[in-house]
Amino acid sequence: MDNKNRQPRVILHIDMNSFYASVEMADYPELQGKPLAIAGNPEERKGVIVTSSYEARKYGVKTTMLVGEARKLCPSLLIRRPNFDRYREVSKQLFAILREVTELVQPVSIDEGYMDISDLADRHPPELAEELQKRIFADLKVPCSIGIAPNKFLAKMASDMKKPMGCTILRKRDIPKKLWPLPVRDMHGVGEKTAEKLKKIDVRTIGDLANRKEYELKNLLGVNGSKLHQRANGFDEREVDPEAIHSFKSIGASTTLAEDTAEETEVYRTFRELAEKVEGRMKRKEVVGQQLQIMIRYNNRKTVTRTRLLHNNTNSREIISREAVDLFEEHWTQQPIRLLGITMSELVETNEAVEQLNLFTYERVAEKEPLYKTIEELKEKYGSDVFKSSKMPLPPIRTSFQKDFLDGD
Amino acid sequence: MERWSQLKETQPLAAQMLINSYDKDRMAHAYLFYGHRGTGKREAARLLAKTLFCPYTADTEPCQECRECRRIDSGNHPDLHWIIPDGASIKKEQILELQKEFTYTGLESDRKIYVVESADLMTVNASNRLLKFLEEPGRDTTAILLTENSEAILQTIRSRCQQIAFQPLNHERMRNYLMEEGISKSNAFLLSELTNNAEEAKEMLEGDWFANARKLVIQLTEVLQSKPNEALLFVNHQWMPHFSEKDTLQRGLDVLMLWYKDILHEHLAREEAVVFIQEQEKREQAMMRWSRAQVTSCMSGIMEAKRHIHQNVHPTLVMEQLTLQLQRC
Amino acid sequence: MKFAIQRDQLMESVQDVMKAISSRTAIPILTGMKLEATTEGVKLTGSDSDISIESFIPAEEDGTVHIENIEPGSIVLQAKYFPDIVRKVPDNTVEIESDHTKNVTIRSGSAEFHLNGQDAEEYPSLPQLRTENSFDMPTDLLKRLIKQTGFAVSTSETRPILTGVHVSTEEENLQFVATDSHRLASRKISLETEETLNLPSVVIPGKSLSELNKILDDTGDSVQISITDNQILFRTKHLYFLSRLLEGNYPETSRLIPNESKTTVLIDSKELLQSVDRASLLAKENRNNVVRLLTKENNQIEIHGNSPEVGNVTEEVTADTIDGEELKISFSAKYMMDALRAIDATQVKISFTGAMRPFLITPVDDASILQLILPVRTY
Repeated sequence: MDNKNRQPRVILHIDMNSFYASVEMADYPELQGKPLAIAGNPEERKGVIVTSSYEARKYGVKTTMLVGEARKLCPSLLIRRPNFDRYREVSKQLFAILREVTELVQPVSIDEGYMDISDLADRHPPELAEELQKRIFADLKVPCSIGIAPNKFLAKMASDMKKPMGCTILRKRDIPKKLWPLPVRDMHGVGEKTAEKLKKIDVRTIGDLANRKEYELKNLLGVNGSKLHQRANGFDEREVDPEAIHSFKSIGASTTLAEDTAEETEVYRTFRELAEKVEGRMKRKEVVGQQLQIMIRYNNRKTVTRTRLLHNNTNSREIISREAVDLFEEHWTQQPIRLLGITMSELVETNEAVEQLNLFTYERVAEKEPLYKTIEELKEKYGSDVFKSSKMPLPPIRTSFQKDFLDGD
Repeated sequence: MERWSQLKETQPLAAQMLINSYDKDRMAHAYLFYGHRGTGKREAARLLAKTLFCPYTADTEPCQECRECRRIDSGNHPDLHWIIPDGASIKKEQILELQKEFTYTGLESDRKIYVVESADLMTVNASNRLLKFLEEPGRDTTAILLTENSEAILQTIRSRCQQIAFQPLNHERMRNYLMEEGISKSNAFLLSELTNNAEEAKEMLEGDWFANARKLVIQLTEVLQSKPNEALLFVNHQWMPHFSEKDTLQRGLDVLMLWYKDILHEHLAREEAVVFIQEQEKREQAMMRWSRAQVTSCMSGIMEAKRHIHQNVHPTLVMEQLTLQLQRC
Repeated sequence: MKFAIQRDQLMESVQDVMKAISSRTAIPILTGMKLEATTEGVKLTGSDSDISIESFIPAEEDGTVHIENIEPGSIVLQAKYFPDIVRKVPDNTVEIESDHTKNVTIRSGSAEFHLNGQDAEEYPSLPQLRTENSFDMPTDLLKRLIKQTGFAVSTSETRPILTGVHVSTEEENLQFVATDSHRLASRKISLETEETLNLPSVVIPGKSLSELNKILDDTGDSVQISITDNQILFRTKHLYFLSRLLEGNYPETSRLIPNESKTTVLIDSKELLQSVDRASLLAKENRNNVVRLLTKENNQIEIHGNSPEVGNVTEEVTADTIDGEELKISFSAKYMMDALRAIDATQVKISFTGAMRPFLITPVDDASILQLILPVRTY
């Protein structure tokens, strides 16, 4: 699709308000209206606050603060351990509600997502947003803020403007009045480091950024500079891509066997083939993954999936097939098998992956250290695009992604 | 089979090879004992373990009485590890456990022996793990793999083992072996004709199935002699309920065949070939009823019945036909 | 065999010995507990074959009589029932007697239990203490050595030898080393012995050491350590702890420890620990979270953590000194925290030799303990 010639779009950004704390309050009504924090280790003073309710924030309780510190600020603070399984469950229900409105839903994380409602011509966007908000609150008992705007960036900025339970419209024409006065650090995509650099050239508000020359920012921040300049002026062409989250969440392949089999050699051959496919798909997407899942469907259609966390990120067919076979042997019931599958998840882009070095083999990597250092310096200077491979783009492929990224575990 | 001298009688080659490698102090790190069920592989493995652990081994024979020998029999020897398939296969965990055992020092000494029964049932993964430590055997470590199906074992594993063949037992050895195992002479004679698998022979003796089968076979011929009109009744009410499965019926026909063979031997005065050694009187009576030629035709009737059973003809039908044929002869 | 024993003494010993007994064992006799009576006293033994624990109750101690009417002998009792019986008997004295058919009678007050025993000859024989290959050290020091190194053993069976702690002696020094190939922990102590030690180097399974650590009390009493061909024996006053050893050659680790440094940081241990802890916030369970450390001007160190679902954590910690080249390095937060906790010093020295090379953490003025961590390579 060619964005440039398209109708003006209507994008919603849905942001759950202090999500973990809200879920806890929904589940335990006695917590409502009280200062609540979720912390990794509530018993220990050195536990860290993961999130807190609005009531707690009023006392100055902040994410990443130590439990001890937070207690000093707010002696009546209630602290609970996180229950990620429960949060995932609520998150799943949330996206199910959004998908009832349109298929064009792009989850970004457990508690936030974009929707493209441009095609719902018969609906008045603010009304639709408010309805959604009420529906979510009624069904899940958790609050959210919604931003309504012509693109993702503005929608994201808008949802931030009024919390909790806000519905904010940010039109292009509102930008000078509503967006530009904000400090540049509040802009989505500007981190602490970038803000510091911008401060040095006297850019303090989003407006300052919007009104600078693009090349000046590009010199300072590389490619990211031009991107931020465009955004500050209200331009953002990114599409709402429902598959985006899947494509980085998992890549897999499965196959139905020619006939049901309990022959190990046949199973191993199949896993090798599947691993090869998965490797190909991962390489095309330029990702590596650390979590391996196998699926076994028996001849009675009983299906089991089993997961293993690997030591390091990988996309190598040898490792994938070896680990898959190992996992298979641990769980196979000896019954004949109809279908086998391999899925790699916990994916990261190859250039963001990390590798734990080994005491007995690190020299191989360390020898190349000067080279890596140079690459890093160049990346910082000219942006990471410098090292994108110059190969022809590969044809798009269909992958059998796991359909719900929240099923990860 | 407690002693090498006994094993030499049933498995002369295998016993001699093992005795030689012990005597010459050239024990292999891994052995593969292969051969049919009941050929004495497990006993040989236990004997070898005793020979290696017993401090009183003299002329290759372990003492059988010391603590080491006794604990090998009771399964309490801490440095002898015996792996038996868990269900239909030997699982990776079992081999992992074994692998762990062999990365540790022995509990009592540095000598360690591991025996893997039905080694062909190792999964490929388990085989590969086993292979790893066959490749780097520890000092004073001996592996003994047992299998009835050596072809099903990875070539890479086979090639790292000294392979020892266990031959099927011949009738005479089988008889002697069964008698040594405390089985009565008459049963030993009969069983050794039915199978050359000592384990199978012992299994057949479990319960009273076999004794009844024997009795029914002779009764059938008695009924045919004295009350031929009741023969079909006998088959339906006595014979069929006992030999109700396809394989048990085949087994019953085998015994019947042996009985007719005995009658033939009686005609030919080949006393030494007789199998039902206790039934001289009944044999003589039967000889009166069936002539040599008739016995032969009865035997071909039995052969044909066996063939029909194999082809899934209805068992009762086959037996009725056979009974009529035996009656007519 | 026959003896009458104080219940409390017996119970205490039974509980110690039970720690070694597992119902899941390939050797049937090891599901039992061995009782052995001599004129000196009664010895209980439990074992899961990897570790064995023997507890000795003297007939008489400091003038107090614990055991009476001893007729020497031995028997193996089912460990499934014996402890419960001892716990629940009505009287303070328990009499245990076995006859020649291995029937065991346990009497206490009006209660009488009958158990089938097993022949003690079936039970494995464990090595005896050998004084020529032994040395003494305080129990609390041994516990500290275990805590400072044991955590770094490998849990993967790919290189089984690394699942153990390498214990070696050189002249009068005793050294514990453990590595899972991603980090290494080493602790050296000097043994105050008159004669030079000439002990074989051994590798003790990490699991055995952590069991030992649980059993030993944190006291200054001495523990005698003796090494035999296939087992190591730790002996306290009445308790013997034996462990099988790992077979094979432990890798030569001393040459892997860098002796030069390009960047050296002196820093408050606790501050660094807390800051790394914060930066690794929300790491998924059992997943190593990576943090990035950057040296800056004015003795500042930046610690940066990135947790995809929550966001970034960046904070600065002030070091006492930073010498040498500027450095950016990434490493597992868990390894760093483990190492700092093991060192347990107020100030540590961290010596880096490059972003892709192992770095060393030691207390500032103490070379006897060192922790080595391999960094994480980012692409």
